[in-house]
Amino acid sequence: MGTNERLALEVVGLTAGYQGKIVLEDVSWKVSRGSLAAIIGPNGGGKSTFLKTIVGLLRPMEYSKLHLVGLPPKQGRKKTAYLPQQEEVDWSFPITVLDVVLQGRLVSQGLFGRYSTRDYDLSLEALDLLGMSKFAHTQIGSLSGGQRQRVFLARALVQEADVILLDEPSTGLDAKAQHELAEIFRDLGDAGKTIIAATHDINCLTECFDQILALDGQVLTEGTPNEVLTEANMVQLFARHFPKISASGEVTVHEP
Amino acid sequence: MNLEMFLEPFQYSFMIRAFLGTGLVAVITAAVGTFVVLKGLAFLGDAISHTSFTGIAFSLLLGISVYFGALFFAILTALGVVFLTRVSSVKDDTALAILFTGVFALGIVILAVSPGFAGDLNSLLLGSVMGIQREEIRVMATVALVLALILALFLERFVFVSFDPIGAEAAGFPVAFFQSLLLVIIAVAIVIAIQAVGVILVVSLLITPAATASLLTKRIKPLLGLSSLIGLFSSFVGLYLSYFLGAPPGATIVLVATTIFALVLGVQKLMGIFHTA
Repeated sequence: MGTNERLALEVVGLTAGYQGKIVLEDVSWKVSRGSLAAIIGPNGGGKSTFLKTIVGLLRPMEYSKLHLVGLPPKQGRKKTAYLPQQEEVDWSFPITVLDVVLQGRLVSQGLFGRYSTRDYDLSLEALDLLGMSKFAHTQIGSLSGGQRQRVFLARALVQEADVILLDEPSTGLDAKAQHELAEIFRDLGDAGKTIIAATHDINCLTECFDQILALDGQVLTEGTPNEVLTEANMVQLFARHFPKISASGEVTVHEP
Repeated sequence: MNLEMFLEPFQYSFMIRAFLGTGLVAVITAAVGTFVVLKGLAFLGDAISHTSFTGIAFSLLLGISVYFGALFFAILTALGVVFLTRVSSVKDDTALAILFTGVFALGIVILAVSPGFAGDLNSLLLGSVMGIQREEIRVMATVALVLALILALFLERFVFVSFDPIGAEAAGFPVAFFQSLLLVIIAVAIVIAIQAVGVILVVSLLITPAATASLLTKRIKPLLGLSSLIGLFSSFVGLYLSYFLGAPPGATIVLVATTIFALVLGVQKLMGIFHTA
């Protein structure tokens, strides 16, 4: 098995979980560079576990191959940015938008590197690109959910990340902000960045993404939105998580 | 009251040393305390101060430098807690509290039953500002300077791993290293501050000025500066007042810091009421 630099992500036979509990079994998936890829599935289906394992936040239990941008995880991570779920970040932290974006430069600096004028220029440029310049000196927590996400995306850009992973990026965003986010994803894809997002938001999927992985403890199916988002697949993926009400008013819980 | 009376405390060299010593440790604990407050680690500060006490007890028993024993126990506690929280995702406050109070009690028993050390017990628990020696000032100044340099050198990195450890770790940033370094700095600051305010009150020096400053600013650098200033002011005023009141200096310093916190909080609440009314 050689490396393939055209692939942003290449996973073969990944089994993952935490505290000895298996959440995901035998997952294989390839995402080519510049793709906008989504991971869907019910809660507890392993979306977050998958993302966290490929960026090294969780130790994989077993895998045959795990490559980020054609590199083993340790090197590949420097070119990967991960945007945690909103509730995983302490938004009350006393830090300005510009200082958050600058953190992207720390990743490639050694132990003692200081911010250079170039680091500031790149950070301001990235903020400008995402329409956030005027908030450079605002405390991060006083921004809206969509704006916070743009700041983190700007940080990913100054980190020079090729792959950007997002955990539930549309949570807490109103319809307008979701459309804007989709537009940003497309721009990033055009610029050669790869987006991989775990999401339960089916609305956005056909609009934003060109590749979908359906996970429920294992790979249910993968492919283009048209291939994956069939009624049969959706029923199999989600039905057991929703009670059904028949015409007579009888409530049944679907058993797969 | 005349000027001479105001200046009276400054005629004594032991008082000058007390002002210098408490000032130094107050500034540095208030600065590192900023991170303790931001990360909600007050309980860890408490654990470290209590176990370092036992480190001091062992040092006295073995006849080695108290700094050595205290540092050993303090760093062991700090890193032990990092290790525990990384290995098990369960935040086990209860287990930690049982462990550190147990270790603390051991220290008290050691000091109390060892002949000749019982006198040290009180000064360790409540601080012995007036007994600070010239040599100790030198140690405090050196340590404070080194800690301040580390803080200045790595400030952005400490902020990164405190604000978004998950994002930092995912990007391959050495999160564990900087989190551990930060805790070691906190441990060292606690150890040198024990002399001034004692084991029981040291946490106040660590968190009260930082908590007060965090009411006043939402930016990290002003926060560090303001916290240090409040720490310095509290130690100066507290020590000065204790001289005239004949009160224990450590406790008076803590009272001043607490009063400042209460005043700032009170004024803010009042202003909030007036703004909404």
